[in-house]
Amino acid sequence: MVVPILKQSDVLIASIQAALTDADLLQLRDDLLAKVGQYRSRGVVIDVTALDVMDSFATRTLRSIAEAARLRGARTVIVGIQPEVAITMVQLGLVLGAVSTALDLEEGLELLGALNRKDAPGG
Amino acid sequence: MADDYARAERHLRDVAEYDVERRRRYVDLQPIDIAQIGELREAILNHLDAHVEAFFGYLAQYPEASGLFSRRNLLEDARRLKREHLIAMVGGEYGRPYVEQRVALGALYSKVRLDIRLFLGAFQALSRSIVNQIMALSPGDGPKGFQRSESLMKIVFFDIGIIMDVLIADREQTITLQQEAIRELSTPTLQVRDRLLIMPIIGVLDTHRARQLTEGLLNAIRANRAKVVVMDVTGVATVDSKVANHLLQTIAAAGLMGAEVIVTGLSAEVAQSLVTLGVDLTKLNAVGDLQGGLEEAERLLGYEVVKTRVQVARRPLD
Repeated sequence: MVVPILKQSDVLIASIQAALTDADLLQLRDDLLAKVGQYRSRGVVIDVTALDVMDSFATRTLRSIAEAARLRGARTVIVGIQPEVAITMVQLGLVLGAVSTALDLEEGLELLGALNRKDAPGG
Repeated sequence: MADDYARAERHLRDVAEYDVERRRRYVDLQPIDIAQIGELREAILNHLDAHVEAFFGYLAQYPEASGLFSRRNLLEDARRLKREHLIAMVGGEYGRPYVEQRVALGALYSKVRLDIRLFLGAFQALSRSIVNQIMALSPGDGPKGFQRSESLMKIVFFDIGIIMDVLIADREQTITLQQEAIRELSTPTLQVRDRLLIMPIIGVLDTHRARQLTEGLLNAIRANRAKVVVMDVTGVATVDSKVANHLLQTIAAAGLMGAEVIVTGLSAEVAQSLVTLGVDLTKLNAVGDLQGGLEEAERLLGYEVVKTRVQVARRPLD
């Protein structure tokens, strides 16, 4: 399943609609990183509201997307992690490391705004 | 009263579910025993009232059994059931109806909170009364009387087994109800400002409650769209390492949902057990007391509390 990636001013929004295979995740990573360059995006929001499972591969891929995107100049925020998913991830020791998280899309966009303001010179 | 009956009903089901056949095997009830008891039927039925009296006379001596004697209708029920019991006891049928009859009586004992030891004493008095009669039936033939008594004793133990199960099931029921009540008291999450929740935790945190707390907190974060949660543990005296670990996991999970948790009111003991856990506490945002926690939360959310003028005038005492 291909994850649609929307462009909203300088932010890319990837909304995952259903469980993804490992190949889908890698596809998402490649698409996002390509589009960050293409649109000169400053932020990426990945919405995982629809996911009720998050395994180690998914976690690692999301982390690598965030790190790679940062190298290309965009901050990443993961939004919509469900309560059950959150506690399971913590119990399994799956960490998102330095990746920011937010409650939902709205929060995520706000957080990106704040992060980018902080990054901005003199901001 | 209504739920008393509902409870009795439940016991009836629970205990009657137990394999009647297996109960009979446990006390080694053989056809020969039933035949021997059959021989006694008439004699025992003739002395029914004396035997019933042996049981209740025993209980009447003890003030502890007053629960039964102070409620006339219950006492009458008990006497009637006991009479029926004795009739059934020599009736030769020890199937499910017999067990259900025993359960009904057991439920009644349980309702008047009859002490198990007292019950055993009274049952012993009853069986002694019956055995005495059995022995008197065959004067000069001790072994015969003994065999008959032995057969009857099997029924006696069969009965005791059932009554014990009812009394124990009732106690377990009470414990379960209390646990449920405590669980319901549990841990509320309260919204104090937009995006700000507080979660006061009072009492003992065990693994079960910790898990419930996690669930409650994470769901409340989603439902209230909380950004900051102040978890106040002033009322928690101690936590073991397992629960402490669980709390830290909860905080990390809340973080994944985009909410920051501020822990306030950590007592010296709890703080020490967190330290000795040897986990990474750098991400734990702890503030001394609830007030400090709320101030920190307001700062994080960008609130500024400004004191205007005092609105509450002090009224003179009448």
